[in-house]
Amino acid sequence: MRIHFNLNGKAIAVDAPVGTSALSLLRDYLGLKGTKEGCGIGECGACAIEVDGKAVNACLMFAAQLDGRTVLTVEGLETPSGLHPIQEAFRDHHAVQCGYCTPGLLMSTHALLAEKPHPDHDDINTAISGHLCRCTGYKNIVSAIEAAGKNPGGKN
Amino acid sequence: MSDIEYYRPHDLDEAVTFLARNGATTRILAGGTDLMIDRRAGTLNTDCLCDVSRLVELKRIEIIDDRLEIGAGVTMNEIVHSETIARFAPALKIAASQFAGNQIRNVATLGGNVAHCSPCGDTVPPLLIHDATAMVRSRSDERAVSLADMAGGPYHCTLGPSELITRFVLKPMTAEMTLTDFQKIGRRRALAISRLSMAVMARQEKDRSIAFIRFALGACTPTPHHFEAVESTLLGKIPTETLLWDVGGKLARQMRVITGRRPSAVYKEPAIAGLFVRILYPLVASSGKPVAP
Ligand code: FES
Ligand code: FES
Repeated sequence: MRIHFNLNGKAIAVDAPVGTSALSLLRDYLGLKGTKEGCGIGECGACAIEVDGKAVNACLMFAAQLDGRTVLTVEGLETPSGLHPIQEAFRDHHAVQCGYCTPGLLMSTHALLAEKPHPDHDDINTAISGHLCRCTGYKNIVSAIEAAGKNPGGKN
Repeated sequence: MSDIEYYRPHDLDEAVTFLARNGATTRILAGGTDLMIDRRAGTLNTDCLCDVSRLVELKRIEIIDDRLEIGAGVTMNEIVHSETIARFAPALKIAASQFAGNQIRNVATLGGNVAHCSPCGDTVPPLLIHDATAMVRSRSDERAVSLADMAGGPYHCTLGPSELITRFVLKPMTAEMTLTDFQKIGRRRALAISRLSMAVMARQEKDRSIAFIRFALGACTPTPHHFEAVESTLLGKIPTETLLWDVGGKLARQMRVITGRRPSAVYKEPAIAGLFVRILYPLVASSGKPVAP
């Protein structure tokens, strides 16, 4: 079927079989490899994207469900002037090691801060509850998200 | 998979009209989280997906007369953020807030969780304590189905192919209730099958005797159960910790009968009794923790 949606600020149309996952649509049909596949069954959050402002797992969505939606992936975060402030906060707080979990966490953080610009600890824990990181032990991730909330304009 | 069709009705009438014609070869798609798992496992087996996730008719949460009505298309996070549910069905809010991870809570729906008839449908015990019924629409009819009748067995939903759950009707919690809670063991989806969940709602008199109690358990029975024997044993009694361990032990043995002696039952029995005492412990004392017998 032909799927129409807004991807990172641009209206696009793409043909894919209905059974395709949104994750495969992004990676295999559109060549956007920033969104990762970890488990493929909704447990790790590596594939998180934003759909109509909410973080969702692209591996658990049919591509067809994106039709008519507004989608933001990690590729849409960076601006012409450089990294997004959330990305800077992750870098500055050493919240990235191998980086495999990072795109998904960035998207959950982006959705969280849009809804709650100054999240407390509980808000952060809730927002990242569906993400696994094998490297960092989460502490630096939480600090990065806190910092991004305190300093939404970026550049410390 | 290339020949699956996708159909997205604009309103409820369109949805049930479509299902009347194509229901037998169609699967209803709401959040999609369970269907994608089936697709990956190669068990989706369908010609068509009917996407009901954008039907506003399935999105309402409201008090109508003395009933609490929750649309089947309401997501877990919409439950978590609803003040009406926090006030009138708080155990359901707790269950929704602990449901998988945030990204899944953003899309998984109440109707989908119930219709999937999974033994680990965490939302079912909190619905059972409110004597919930599902309102089920087809093109020509609307009927009320009790949750107990809906699950014919694990992953087997007894609804007809042309039927769609539109909403759940609950008895709202009243101000006199003194305890309501939901608790579970096992956190992540991967552990779903060994997961155990319980929901309770109760009212105690001033002398602490139990004047009203609803108790339901999910996960290790083939389908979720509302345990009348537990309720009738506790009703009218002033609960002590010994009484709770006693009833919890009976419940665990009853579960063994229901489930047959599966190997997993060996460790589940103490878990069942322990969780039972923990969730009901506030009936005994307002603070502190139970000690194992
Ligand atoms: S790849 Fe989607 S949650 Fe793990
Ligand atoms: S940085 Fe390696 S998994 Fe998170």
